[in-house]
Amino acid sequence: MSVSAPHAMIEVEHLYRRYGQVLAVEDLTFRLEKGEVVGFLGPNGAGKTTTMRILAGYLPASKATRLSVAGFDVLRQSIEVRRRIGYLPESVPLYRELRVREMLRFHGRLHGMDRASLAKAIPRVLDRVGVLDRREQLVGNLSRGLRQRVGLAVALLPNPDVLILDEPTSGLDPLQRKEVRSLIGALAQDHTVLLSSHILAEIELICPRVIILDRGKLLADGTQRQLLHQLAGDQRIRLEAMCGSDVEAARRSLAALPGVASVVVGERVGIHQAFELRGEGDLREDVGALAMQKGWALRELSLTRATLEEVFSKLVLGELGTAASPALAPAPPAAQSAAQSGAQSAPTNLLQLALPDAKVPSDPGSKPGGAIYSLNPFDRGASRDLSKPVPRDPEPPSDPEGCDQ
Amino acid sequence: MKGTWVIFRRECASLFWTPLGWLLLVAAVLLNGLLYWAQLNQTGGNVTASLSAAMGWGIVFWMVMIFLPPLLAMRLLAEESRTGTLEYLLTAPVSDAAVIVGKFLAATTFMAVLWSSVLLYGLQLQWLGSPPDWAALLCAYLGAILVSGLFVSLSLLASSLTQAPLLAAFLAIIGCTGWLLLPMLMQSALAQLRDILAQWVGGWDRAEAWIQSGIRSIDVAMHFQQSFLPGVLDSAELVFFLTWSGLFLFLTIRSLEARRWRV
Repeated sequence: MSVSAPHAMIEVEHLYRRYGQVLAVEDLTFRLEKGEVVGFLGPNGAGKTTTMRILAGYLPASKATRLSVAGFDVLRQSIEVRRRIGYLPESVPLYRELRVREMLRFHGRLHGMDRASLAKAIPRVLDRVGVLDRREQLVGNLSRGLRQRVGLAVALLPNPDVLILDEPTSGLDPLQRKEVRSLIGALAQDHTVLLSSHILAEIELICPRVIILDRGKLLADGTQRQLLHQLAGDQRIRLEAMCGSDVEAARRSLAALPGVASVVVGERVGIHQAFELRGEGDLREDVGALAMQKGWALRELSLTRATLEEVFSKLVLGELGTAASPALAPAPPAAQSAAQSGAQSAPTNLLQLALPDAKVPSDPGSKPGGAIYSLNPFDRGASRDLSKPVPRDPEPPSDPEGCDQ
Repeated sequence: MKGTWVIFRRECASLFWTPLGWLLLVAAVLLNGLLYWAQLNQTGGNVTASLSAAMGWGIVFWMVMIFLPPLLAMRLLAEESRTGTLEYLLTAPVSDAAVIVGKFLAATTFMAVLWSSVLLYGLQLQWLGSPPDWAALLCAYLGAILVSGLFVSLSLLASSLTQAPLLAAFLAIIGCTGWLLLPMLMQSALAQLRDILAQWVGGWDRAEAWIQSGIRSIDVAMHFQQSFLPGVLDSAELVFFLTWSGLFLFLTIRSLEARRWRV
């Protein structure tokens, strides 16, 4: 077992949790250092909530070699752990019949805060989450977004070392989301934050480090840059040019450029032909030079950096191609073995599962490089595919909140 | 224990701040008051009989005992579990036992407030110039609180078994009714079968004594009516009620714990 560093705020080693026959969390290992903001990412049923509930002391682990928060054992020193955790479940359970101020006072009392410190702390946290003017309102009368903020205030009140937030932005409108995001960003200065979400754009914005779970297993763990670098691999160049009718010749000359790993012929829009190039480094200069030499009129020449969503869908949908998998060696020291085994076993058994055919291209090479604009009048003008970054605000088009009330 | 106090205060507040609490209170006090008044008329002003009818002998007393604690307890665990606030409570830095005991004390306090109406009847009699036997009345009041506590703890156990408040209340009502009536049913069954069994079973006398003591050890009505009601404060009776309540509370805590494994 790894030696526990003095700054580890959350340590989880070989965590298992079983619900009857179902293994909800399987051999999960990770650690959070003090002051980190880490995002739990995974589709529904990946084990995010279960793991958080276990850390918060609501559910017991079925098996774990080490499970500690702020240096206290979650099972044996449960009360000590709970004192140091601000846990906000997804459903934001608050007593509806209490006023906001009363709810906070009740929570503070449970944490053993005295009257004087409560009098100071309550307005402070309410102000911080921006509901100071609602303190006399009944919790039950608040809108979902406001209740979410009150929930955050409740979690923050005892000034916990660790914040565990289960889907803190679900049910919020885009503006509120933005506020909650910046709030969580500000919290990172003096709290360790573990939050979960299935909204990728969100995690991308809030969390420097990401832990990707799927079906209870850890698929990847690392900073976004590490993950993008290792999993998404090469850069992608999109080229739209007027290259005449001999597309194959153009493709060959593009493929002959140094550093180009693959060229995919995309759709043809009018007289323009689209290509997608993958390769090392920034290929735009070379491609531009080639276009000048050949006399192609360029319409687009752009570099696309992989997004977290791409990495995520690769990992979870099992789209991890052969090209990318050798590069898979998750960086953080604690999680190598688990991540590797998880990621390699994933593609085989996930491919067939649950996902619409359209999202799992049988041959990644034949997939056009992402139609963002189409002249086809029956195509409604635009479509979006997984290889493009998500539009951040407002809401991503595929609304992931369908299941939340 | 500090946690217990915090939970207790919140539960009391929410019991007395919700319409349900007051509705139950009004219904119970009204019915019991009617009974007391009818009794007073019927017996031609027999103060002692009327008071003991209002507290311990009357049918309303036991009806309230059977129906109220389940209705109070269904909110305490089943509903909290359904709305998710139980998750909040069980991840707060207080032990499960503190949560359960706090809730138990709050519901029992509610029942104590309810039965204190009978003390008001006593005050009124005092004021009208025929003072009741205060020692007996207070002793009966204490007994009523203990009986309430027993049924509240039984109802809490039922409430911890399910997430559906109505089902919890239903289970608890069945449990309380069964607990109250079982000894009576067993007694009458025993009376029916005594002759037959005495012929067939050797050493029947000893067996019957054994069964009788078994029945007595769950007979709430008898323990209450024979001891507290006449004004006898017997430590054995205290132990009887506290033990059963404690056992049910213990089972409730265990049942919550078991649910964490099952959930």
